[in-house]
This record gives sequence, C-alpha cells and structure tokens, in this order.
Amino acid sequence: MAIVYACAGSHAPGIRAWTERAPQAQVDNLFGGYAAVREGLEAAKPEIVLLLTSEHWANFFEHVGAFCVGRGASFEGPIEPWLRVENAEVKGDPEFATRLLEHCYASGFELSFSHEMKFDHGSMVPLSFLTPDMNVRVVPIMFNTLATPRATSARCLALGRMLRPFLDAAPERIAVVATGGLSHDPGERNHGIIDTDFDARFIADMTSADPDRLSRYSDADLLKAGAGTLELLAWICLAGIMGEAKARLVAYEAVVPWATGMGIVSYDRAA
Amino acid sequence: MSTYSLNKLLRDVNRDPGIRERFFKDAAAVASGYDLTGEERHAVLERDVTTLYRMGVHGLILRPFTILHQMPEPDYLEAIRK
Repeated sequence: MAIVYACAGSHAPGIRAWTERAPQAQVDNLFGGYAAVREGLEAAKPEIVLLLTSEHWANFFEHVGAFCVGRGASFEGPIEPWLRVENAEVKGDPEFATRLLEHCYASGFELSFSHEMKFDHGSMVPLSFLTPDMNVRVVPIMFNTLATPRATSARCLALGRMLRPFLDAAPERIAVVATGGLSHDPGERNHGIIDTDFDARFIADMTSADPDRLSRYSDADLLKAGAGTLELLAWICLAGIMGEAKARLVAYEAVVPWATGMGIVSYDRAA
Repeated sequence: MSTYSLNKLLRDVNRDPGIRERFFKDAAAVASGYDLTGEERHAVLERDVTTLYRMGVHGLILRPFTILHQMPEPDYLEAIRK
C-alpha cells in the first residue's frame, strides 16, 4: 500500500497573510486542525507529497491545460511577496512525475506537464502547514479552476480512480494532499460572502463512503458558491483516489476576514 | 478571457519580480511593451480599479495587483462594485 496518508485543506491566503484579522477561536480551530493533519502526515513518513492543487494565474495563462503535472526538479514559491510565507525552493521528483505521466497516458488521460512550474499560495499555504521544513519531495498536479472550459467533477473523480493503481504499485511512500475551496469568490463582487449551506452539503458528500455523489456537482453548481469554489475539483479527485475509504472532517470555519469557507478533512485509514 | 494583453500585463507585475520592480519605477515604459488600447493603458496608469474590473481584468489578477499597491480590501470591493 503506497498511499500512507491523505488529507485535504483550504488555502485562502488570509490564513497566512492576514491571520490576525480572523476571530481567535476560528484561527485556533484551523491551526489546530492543520497541526493534527501535519502530525498524521509526519507519522506516516511519506517520501513524496502528491499535491492536487490549483493556482491563480501563476503558471496557466498563455497555455492552459485541464491538469498539469509538475515535472521540475524544484518549484520556487510563493510568487506573492505579501503572503508571509518564506520563499523556498520546494524539491520535486521528475522521475516519479514521469512514471505517473506514463501511467496516465497508458490509461487514456493525457495530462499536460511543465518543467518550470511556480508555486503561489495555492500550494505554499498547505505546504507551510504540512511540511514547513520543505523536506518532502512534492509532485504537483495543477487543476485549471479558472479559465473555461474546465474539467467536470466526473472527470476529476475518474482521474483519481485512474491514479489509484499507480499509487498502490509505486515503491515510494506517498501522501496525497488536495487543496482549495470551499465556498469563496476571491477578488470578485461576492468576495467575503460564504455559502455555508453549500459547504455543509459538500463536506457531507466528501465524508460519505460514496464518492459518486461528488460527480453530480456541475461547473455551475460550484461556480454559484463563488469562483474559487471550483478548486474543490482537486478534493473530488482525491475522493476518486481514496475510493471507499471515508474522509473525516477535521475542522471547518466560515472565516469572513479571509473571505473563505475553510475546511480540512483527513482519512483515518491510509488507503 | 477578454482583454488578454491587459490581464497579461497585470499578471506579469504580480508574478515576475523584475517586471514588478520596473513597473513601480516606470509603469508607462513597462505598459508600452503590451498591446493595449488607449483606454486600457490609461486605466492601468491611473490605477483605475473600477474601470479595470469593468474591462474584464480577472479578480484573481486585479486583487493581487491592488494588494501590491497596498489598497485596503474595503476600498477594493467598493471600487469593483461601483
């Protein structure tokens, strides 16, 4: 069993860049939640973090693919000088990334790949909580959650299911981390409005033992809860990877000063 | 995305430390390297957030761009909601 740990968590930049604007109880709950999953991840001793992540025009712009695997030897981040996360060269694993791509192509999923990916808060925020020493190799799969058209929920679930046998067979100890969401509309007119009903529904589906429920979210369903909510495509992919294993809610807070429904889930059983 | 070049300029300022430094020293010179309409160029040089948003600058480009300009969030939201 090569998947030794799995979790998902939100990455709104406010959790680092303007932490103190949020009520202390919410900060404590979320920082405590991230500390708990960090402990679980460290205890599992992963050699690689497979990071299912989204980005904010750091890489996608001139070229956009539905899913893009980072094949570089390292990833520099964060690109935002205001994030209050220390700059780092996060080590990659080109050899693992290449094997993963070969499995995908042989399975009918032709993912894009990049040799020069940069990390923004979408990757650096979760890493700053989970592997703050940046001492675990990271192989990212970037999801396009910005430009239309985007991959469907069903396709992301299928992507996860397709990845599972590769991860099971890989000799490395792998932690799978999905990041993004939940409800938020960053930089747009509804910035600061959090759809807590949507978040409760999504968390109920994410923590059920029936991942197929997640394939019912249409692009419009996710967009209605805010443009950033599309980032949950990465969580849906994680649910596809984890199959029947049930996720558990670690923490949820609707944090208005960070303009985001912030959630963390983890899997008690690795895979 | 409409207004591709306009988004590209602001995205480059957000993402590239060298372009960012040059932009804050001489925005007009940096802007001249992008295929902008007169109105787009004017809105960038005036940091006219309302107009930039109406022109179609993406929120995840415009908000980071305004954070670099130390624009408080309430002011940003007021500008884009006009």
